[in-house]
Amino acid sequence: MQAPTASKAAPAKMIWPPELKTYVQRALAEEFQVRGVTTIEVNEQLKKTIGYFAERAMLFELDWDNYPLPQDIIVAERAKLAEQAAANAAFTNNSSSPTSTKRKAHDTVESQSPTKTSTPPWQKTNLADRVTFGNGQKEKRPKQDDATSSKSDLEKRRKRFQLGTSGKTKTTTPPWNTQNGPDSDLSSGPVVGTNQNLEKSYFRLTAPPKAETVRPQPVLERTLDMLRKKWKGEEKNYNYICNQFKSLRQDLTVQHIKNSFTVKVYEMHARIALEKGDLGEYNQCQTQLRVLYMQKLGGHPAEFLAYRILYFVYTCNKADMNDLLAELTNADKNQDAVRHALDVRSALALGNYHKFFRLYLEAPNMGAYLMDMFIVRERLAALANISRAYMSIALRFLTDELGFENDRECCAFLEAHNAQNMIEEKVNDNGTQLRVNFKGAAPHFEALRAAAFSKVDIKGQI
Amino acid sequence: MQAALEPFLQAHADEVSWVVVAQLSPFAPPENPGRLYDFYRASNEHQIENEVRSALKYNRNSRLSNKEAGAWMEIFVAYWRAVGFILRAEEARNQGRIEDRQFVDIYDAWKTMTDLIVRHISNGSLPNWTIVCMYVTANHLRRFAIRADEQLAQSKSNVTFSPGFGDDIVSTVARNEKLEEAARVFNKMFALCLGDRNPDMRESRKWGTYYVANLLFKTYFKLKNVSLSKNVVRSIEAQNDLPDFKVYPAAHRTTYKYYVGVLAFLQEDYTKAESCLTDAWNMCLPDSMKNQELILTYLIPCRLITKHNIPTQTLLASYPGLKRIFGPLVSCIKSGDLAGFDAALLAGEDTFVKRRIYLTLERGRDIALRNLLRKTFLAEGFEDLKEGQSELDRIRKTRIPLSHFVVALRLRSSGQALEDDEVECLLANMIYKGLMKGYISREHSMVVLNKKGAFPGTGV
Repeated sequence: MQAPTASKAAPAKMIWPPELKTYVQRALAEEFQVRGVTTIEVNEQLKKTIGYFAERAMLFELDWDNYPLPQDIIVAERAKLAEQAAANAAFTNNSSSPTSTKRKAHDTVESQSPTKTSTPPWQKTNLADRVTFGNGQKEKRPKQDDATSSKSDLEKRRKRFQLGTSGKTKTTTPPWNTQNGPDSDLSSGPVVGTNQNLEKSYFRLTAPPKAETVRPQPVLERTLDMLRKKWKGEEKNYNYICNQFKSLRQDLTVQHIKNSFTVKVYEMHARIALEKGDLGEYNQCQTQLRVLYMQKLGGHPAEFLAYRILYFVYTCNKADMNDLLAELTNADKNQDAVRHALDVRSALALGNYHKFFRLYLEAPNMGAYLMDMFIVRERLAALANISRAYMSIALRFLTDELGFENDRECCAFLEAHNAQNMIEEKVNDNGTQLRVNFKGAAPHFEALRAAAFSKVDIKGQI
Repeated sequence: MQAALEPFLQAHADEVSWVVVAQLSPFAPPENPGRLYDFYRASNEHQIENEVRSALKYNRNSRLSNKEAGAWMEIFVAYWRAVGFILRAEEARNQGRIEDRQFVDIYDAWKTMTDLIVRHISNGSLPNWTIVCMYVTANHLRRFAIRADEQLAQSKSNVTFSPGFGDDIVSTVARNEKLEEAARVFNKMFALCLGDRNPDMRESRKWGTYYVANLLFKTYFKLKNVSLSKNVVRSIEAQNDLPDFKVYPAAHRTTYKYYVGVLAFLQEDYTKAESCLTDAWNMCLPDSMKNQELILTYLIPCRLITKHNIPTQTLLASYPGLKRIFGPLVSCIKSGDLAGFDAALLAGEDTFVKRRIYLTLERGRDIALRNLLRKTFLAEGFEDLKEGQSELDRIRKTRIPLSHFVVALRLRSSGQALEDDEVECLLANMIYKGLMKGYISREHSMVVLNKKGAFPGTGV
């Protein structure tokens, strides 16, 4: 299996330095293989390295005998990522500034427990590599006791790699270490921020961010606190808040922070967006939250699951709704919020507007904000229904059935939909009564209903 | 190798496509279980190319043109490699230790071969009758891709950081990357078949159109990307120089009609769905029970909506699988048993949701309710005869107190007690949907039904 790949790496027409040939042979040789690194990865790295130096016509200059083997580069790269993740974690623990003791306690409890079931990707490779790491290097350096090879060794090793290459190739950084390296995924590895400002305007990145513009998690936590207070207090400028949240989310992303704090940020932004009816932002947060919840990082999965159901009710997306129903577990269905959302769905599916408007009035959490998105539409649908089934009814009945606060609101709604002439005053034994006469009204409401359903605006749907 | 390729040369000379296809099968035929093994052992990595070349190009028996021999040579070498991976995986499975990427390797090798066939057909090295090889090979590719994806899904978590400078933390990595890749190959084939300009229809690649379209449907459904299937239908409908649909093989037509029907069903175009599914049903072979069952799975809910029809017990009796899932639902609709209907819908929810018929079946509750209201109406009896009227003039009571309907609904519903207003609302719905004719008078707490045909289509 290895023979063909090796020959592929060195097409016949070009002349290769003999050192490179032995380098490739070593890279593929059995005894140099490192556990946890597959042949495919080695081949990839090999191609990348050779391609990089070939482009710069440095194949003959490079000291191939001392250049790290591809598997070692991969291991070193992973170690580096792991270290950064460790550094991030350290940040969380270091946030013992006296001002935030309470939250810190909360956070550490959450951050220690969460990922038992699912290890985050950046921590996965860590241990295995450290343990096997001695084997691959047997011939090159004094053998080390595997058990004692600790993080400081790792650090030393990493430095050695950097030094090793700087000997001959001072001007060029090796491909696995560049920030803007050609087609390397590694360039987007996590940054560790140093910025201490609480506020920051959102700016869409087109290049890797500089550490001094990015805020580390302890700062971000204070930012969130500040935003929460502002939103609850005086600040009603949604654009400002939304902008701040977007930059907050961006800082989390570029530092690969994915923990209970991340969930908190997304949840809060989603709720605020809901409150302001900004379905675009809300939907983005929702998509992210769904994946975050899969990682079991805490938060309020049931609440947001319920929102998602209501959201699909709003978009009338049957296919998505079906997929969502397929995902639901019995445990999900027993949650009050989810139960409510499912009831809303089935009430509408069966045309049970009576039940629907009852459910509207008793929506848990922020469900009513989402239901506001389609309440007008459903009122028109109910009116289309009622106008066909009744000759005339008391206005009060309509007010109750359609979940209006009072008769005045109901009248205003009818007026807004060109139905004011249907309202009549009728005198009977108990005094005067306002009634709605539906004579010939059915086509009018039917047209309004059809129009309302035809324009579901799906903002930011991914 | 020479001997191993002899059947191919013979079949090729006779242009018997299914024998040629059999020579490129990833499975050994039942009468010769050792075929793959023998074929693989007949050569090795170093000699395979030369051996195939001499068997195809320099063989006296071979009547292949130089160009075509070259194409087949590449294909058979790729096939030989793929067989190697298949045998290795089989062996590993027998020993109970499948390695991480074994199915992925099979897929990759098979894709190389599929790509070669596509390329040589499109550059004209292979005659057009070999499209049969192309699409059968593609069908195997689909299966291999599914297995490879299953294996990949086991070996890595599907959540990672987005590689760009995105604003958000997570991006979902393609969970079906191999099948998606395969879909692109099929798409290429589809274009190759659909867009063939060869005026001689006997030689045209257009004959592969519906088979490849079906392949795309299967793939997109599996990928849960149903909307892409619509594009396939659209391009076929836009292509006006295809041979008459009727002359395509029945197998291609039936499957195609089935998928177009299901697509219409999912888009809630029940009229179109019904006509396509009925076509498929009529073409389906009498003993393809599995396919009939698939068609009925969608045709039954469809007719429930379009015609308010429910399947007869006789029909269901011949399909135990369908009887199990639809049986209880159907009998509850018939008897107007709302509580039973809700329970049956709940019991079958997982199956219904999986087949994407849940939301449609749910609407069957309207029919159950209609039947219940109709029974109530019948139970009300007739108006007293007036003077001079005979039995023939008897008319049913059409002014029915709301409370009677309330009682009927409470009797046959489960869960919390229904409020009076809710019953009214459900009645209004029946009227709105045209299942019941009449109007509600709140002042008199009465439902006034139409004297002629209170429940359209049910004889009263």
